[in-house]
Amino acid sequence: MSNIPVLIVLLPLSAALLCMALSLIHWRLGRDVVIASVAASLVLSVIQLKDVIDHGTVSYVFGKYKIPYGIEFRIDAISAVIIVMILIIGFITLLFSMSFEVRDGGKVKNSGAYTMLALLIVGMVGMTSTGDMFNLYVFLEITSLSGYCLIALGGSRGIVAAFRYMLVGTIAATFYLLGVGILYSQTGTLNMEDMHYMLSRGVSTEAQAVALVFIIAAFGVKMALFPFNGWQPSAYAHANAGSRPLIAGVMGKIPAYAMFRYIFCIYGSEFRFMDEFLLIVGIFSCCGIIYGSVRAMAQTDLRKMLAYSSVAQIGYITLGFATGSPVGIVGGFLHMLAHAFMKSGLFFGTGAIRQKYGSMKMEDLGYIYKKMPLTSGLMVVAALSMVGIPPLGGFFSKWYIGMGAAGSHHLVYLFVLVISSLLNAVYFFKLFEKMFMARDKELPDRIPSEVAQEVPWNMVLAIVVCFLAIILIGVFNVPIVNVLMPTVMEVGS
Amino acid sequence: MAKKIKNAIPVVIIAIVLAAAFARFDFLPSIGDPDAPAHTRTSDYYIEHAVKDTNSPNYVTAVIVDYRAFDTMLETTVMFLAGLGVVILLASRPDPKARIIKPRKFTENREHLGAPAYQSINKDVMIKIIEPLILIYAVYVLFHGEVSLGGGFQAGALIGMVYIIDTMVSPGTISLIRLPKERSVALAGAGTFIYTLTGILTLVGGGVFLEYGKLPFSMSFEEKHSTGILMVEVGVTIGVMATIITILNAIHERARFDDDK
Repeated sequence: MSNIPVLIVLLPLSAALLCMALSLIHWRLGRDVVIASVAASLVLSVIQLKDVIDHGTVSYVFGKYKIPYGIEFRIDAISAVIIVMILIIGFITLLFSMSFEVRDGGKVKNSGAYTMLALLIVGMVGMTSTGDMFNLYVFLEITSLSGYCLIALGGSRGIVAAFRYMLVGTIAATFYLLGVGILYSQTGTLNMEDMHYMLSRGVSTEAQAVALVFIIAAFGVKMALFPFNGWQPSAYAHANAGSRPLIAGVMGKIPAYAMFRYIFCIYGSEFRFMDEFLLIVGIFSCCGIIYGSVRAMAQTDLRKMLAYSSVAQIGYITLGFATGSPVGIVGGFLHMLAHAFMKSGLFFGTGAIRQKYGSMKMEDLGYIYKKMPLTSGLMVVAALSMVGIPPLGGFFSKWYIGMGAAGSHHLVYLFVLVISSLLNAVYFFKLFEKMFMARDKELPDRIPSEVAQEVPWNMVLAIVVCFLAIILIGVFNVPIVNVLMPTVMEVGS
Repeated sequence: MAKKIKNAIPVVIIAIVLAAAFARFDFLPSIGDPDAPAHTRTSDYYIEHAVKDTNSPNYVTAVIVDYRAFDTMLETTVMFLAGLGVVILLASRPDPKARIIKPRKFTENREHLGAPAYQSINKDVMIKIIEPLILIYAVYVLFHGEVSLGGGFQAGALIGMVYIIDTMVSPGTISLIRLPKERSVALAGAGTFIYTLTGILTLVGGGVFLEYGKLPFSMSFEEKHSTGILMVEVGVTIGVMATIITILNAIHERARFDDDK
């Protein structure tokens, strides 16, 4: 049994724990160790992905106990792909946030922010790879706590947003624990595989339904699914500028994956109320898609617009799950990957613009395509992908979701998909209009030209990686789907 | 009036749903039911095998730091994370440009913030009698945790309490140990890292993560398990102690926020 699955979590975790102590020696040492450890994990995760594609699901049991008694890491093709995605975006976000260091806040604040980012990555990777329900809760706690702190580091507004998120998020964590408690009382096990076996042997349907209600509500809050999304726009908009791409791009996707695991891997098609629950998730997603798109049209602050658009985009992912057909589910996962890079890319772009010109208002974007060609190129590609223009990632994911919806005869979902794409086009073309047509505001340039022509190298790296990823996910969508499809066929109904 | 009704609606809905849930659902097993799956599926295995597998006579310790040691490691990380979050958010001022309101003349009283003074506590009694007793008890709880009640979390809390008493009874003067916030938060991370290090040592010894039987020491299997559990408990103790001290430091050095008076 190779130790790769645990090393991927362990390296950033150890670096995060030692970061504060190392920064006592030199203020840059802790940061460098954290970045190096995440880079090492990224390499290991690619090796693991190759291993999973070649040899199937990897299982890693801690302490070498038998399966229902010890904690298990279980990595199938879907989670291996998602782990690679988290680590790529985490790595470039860590590099990106080097430009946003606040030196006046003191050593603790500076290296503390890196510790938080590393622990956020650890939490998300752990949530993706674990095969144990309580272990998932602990990783969820790490993810949420570091998320709260990173949002609160974004100044006074960030503190208010983080407090609101904390109140709602703590209730969500409690809901999750209640759901797990009910399931444990019926089966006496916490391992996901074992839980599926026990549930299929016949457990009170009422208990299962109540537990699933709690769990869907919990993950709904954490991923900002429509009726639970109140905390999300201000939290994403006012988070710490350096870590905003990771928070907005990836943090919402992991609970969506966890929800997928609960609905399809643990409950499965044997559950009697499966169709009803999928219908409820589908209704939530449809409402969220329309609501998020309409609210995003009304925003003037770029960050708020992108945050509301996230409500809609999370809706696409869950809509893919709600179709219940393998093609739709694969579409949901493809959208998860594509949207992570699109939304991170847009936030990298806004971060770069803010670093250079100090503004986040849409009116101030005039003439930006001449002044920052790389950044505006990324933002155009990401926005076109959001709308769903063919060779880009967003088109193919929506295509698969639409095929899934048509295949399972949910024509309303198809209708919502088309309408919302038009709405996306409305608010992203508004962005284009401001970028290409509006008059130049002549804002002062805050980055001296001897440092960099456009933005520093770390921002250029982040922008280029996102740009390439969006295009590659679109062009190579068939190989990605071929990797994901066997696992989905195994668990999907 | 209309607003009152609007505010009351969620409460009424929650009350109805909870009442319906309590009235309708009776799927939870009764307390102590020996045949319920919750008490048979894994519990029986733990009761039968815990002593043999882990060499710990205490089932609770066996489950917490051996069967599910990975969870406990992450819980300790959560403790560290909480302490770090408190110290980042409370003890360092937000950037001036990110503020909603410009800071007014808050600075004149700031020197007095860091020096709490509780002059009425009797120094001689606290330092000479109570603190050593608490420390002895903490060490007892730490080393005895494997066989009976207690363990790292409690020991860490007790040692942290000694530090709190020490700062309270001798304000401003030099006491034995002072941990400023940079040091204490670094110590909290390092303490939690001892736990992780135990796991890394088992990896070095050729086992899987946190498989104490593969620790690279020349001992018998049972001794290795005991050593592993003890290392983990020491790590937790240091982590918890330093986290408590960190939170105390953060409260001492609390930055004034914009809405403070």
